[in-house]
Amino acid sequence: MNPAVGLSAFLAVSIATAVIGFYGLRISRTTGDFYVASRTVPPWWNASAIGGEYLSAASFLGVAGLILLSGTDALWFPVGYTAGYLMLLLFVAAPLRRSGAYTIPDFTEARLDSRLVRRVTSLVVVAVGWLYIVPQLHGAALTIRITTGLPSWVGSTAVVLVVCLTVVAGGMRSITFVQAFQYWLKLTALAVPVAFVLLVLAGNGTQPQAPLPLNPTGQSAAGAYQHISLLVALLFGTLGLPHVLVRFYTNPDGQSARRTTLIVLGLLSVFYVFPTLSGALGRMFAPDLAQSGQADALVLLLPGRFVGGVAGDMLSALVVAGAFAAFLSTTSGLVVSLSGVISQDLFGGSVKGFRLAALLAAVVPLGFALMTDTLALAGSVGLVFAFTASTICPVLLLGIWWRGLTDAGAIAGMLIGAFLCGGAMVVGTLMGPGNAPAWLAQPAAWSVPAAFAVTVTVSVMTKNRVPASVNRVMSRLHVPERPVVTER
Amino acid sequence: MTRVRVTAPRQSATAAPGPSGNLPYPKELAEDSDAGRIFIRSLIRSQLRLALVVACGFLVILAVIAVFLVYGPGVAETRIFGIPLDWLVLGAGIYPVIGLSAWLYNRAAARNEARYQDLVEDK
Repeated sequence: MNPAVGLSAFLAVSIATAVIGFYGLRISRTTGDFYVASRTVPPWWNASAIGGEYLSAASFLGVAGLILLSGTDALWFPVGYTAGYLMLLLFVAAPLRRSGAYTIPDFTEARLDSRLVRRVTSLVVVAVGWLYIVPQLHGAALTIRITTGLPSWVGSTAVVLVVCLTVVAGGMRSITFVQAFQYWLKLTALAVPVAFVLLVLAGNGTQPQAPLPLNPTGQSAAGAYQHISLLVALLFGTLGLPHVLVRFYTNPDGQSARRTTLIVLGLLSVFYVFPTLSGALGRMFAPDLAQSGQADALVLLLPGRFVGGVAGDMLSALVVAGAFAAFLSTTSGLVVSLSGVISQDLFGGSVKGFRLAALLAAVVPLGFALMTDTLALAGSVGLVFAFTASTICPVLLLGIWWRGLTDAGAIAGMLIGAFLCGGAMVVGTLMGPGNAPAWLAQPAAWSVPAAFAVTVTVSVMTKNRVPASVNRVMSRLHVPERPVVTER
Repeated sequence: MTRVRVTAPRQSATAAPGPSGNLPYPKELAEDSDAGRIFIRSLIRSQLRLALVVACGFLVILAVIAVFLVYGPGVAETRIFGIPLDWLVLGAGIYPVIGLSAWLYNRAAARNEARYQDLVEDK
């Protein structure tokens, strides 16, 4: 690919992101603005922003790459990513919005009336956020390397720089605009090149090099255990993702939180048509990309390969822009929610503390990303979902729906879940991707039930620790808001 | 955010909504009475039951689809417009099911809340 094309696309997205960020700066003034955009964002904006934030490197590059490698097995990834929002809608969206908390640690502290629970939740949230930023930076490194020929570290470092600048300048208000813009950019950047490639292939009557059902690298089909474990991770991991949850506080009330989620489901369903198409096209017309180990770059390389000349360059530029939109939006969403958590616990919740925390939240994963190498993007993000489902999900679900949850139960559940799932991730990585048995490579199917069981058992054993405020908090979570707000 | 707890005597609560009908009605009144507590418990229980029913229904549909695609007779050979059936179902067919479940849930959840509000106001 022409290096100038990739570079100019990257610069254009970075500048657009920064400009919208600075425009938002004039609006955001108070600490409240910085965190949650003062809860004045209408559902469509908010849904686009959630979509923009959620569709990460894994969705933009990884899903198509995985479909290229493993076909229908990989089609379960986008299904799980979308259905995760259904679970979020059913169990979390409205009550969490009504809780009125800014972050997940705020929620657990208010629900269980315990500072210690808050500390542990903060630790888990920061771990999840850092784990999730690393694959984004790997995606950026891959994109820069493939499209411009520059060394990998340039991509990850550039993403961290742009994110820090935007977050430090504008806080969440501007981030909402940026994210909403980036959903539509990502959708266009995938849809238009795929449409052109389809037209060109149909126009010159190119015959497929391989049949659709055939895996190009001869990868064997996944078993039932892998499918179930993956779905458990994706369905229950989504509702614990810190950067997704913080978005729900920007809805004016519980009902609009539900409406927003419904729109998000629509936006995601439309989006995932295109990675699926790209993956299918790759299997039939470019199986050599899988054989040469460039599966994750499929989306980037597809337009240049089949559409020649200036049109091909322009389409490539569009895809690169979309890819960077994906890295930037997910990373900045994570950095905002992490710095919300870090600054409230370490720096007393001031605007200056938020900025310091933003730097901390972005620079640590950059270090990890520079030290480690790119795995399959969709796979490594899938593991982060498993970790979230084993730690935050039980506390959140039981906290919203079960009066019997205690601080001791919550802490025990989070720690055991983190230990089991994190341990499996570490051991699985040490054994190498091909050697780890399925139950280690995909721990969610047993680590999530284990975390739930521990949380419930310890809570039942420590019944006397149920907080006195439980009735008040539960009614706050579930009672619909009045048309006229009665809280001050 | 500071919340002010309203601790008015229960009798005055019943007289709260005036002829205009849309006066602010502090929800704390409902949660401080025995009847109010029961209403809230039943609201929570009906919302949880609804969420579980929708979730289980969706998961059952998902499981049926998965089993059908693996063991269904002739699935591997079936093509619609040249696209294999399993690609069509997993790549496109499931998404409307997700959307429909979400839409039905939203309507039913809003209905549960409206029913609760009616109860509290009629009290």
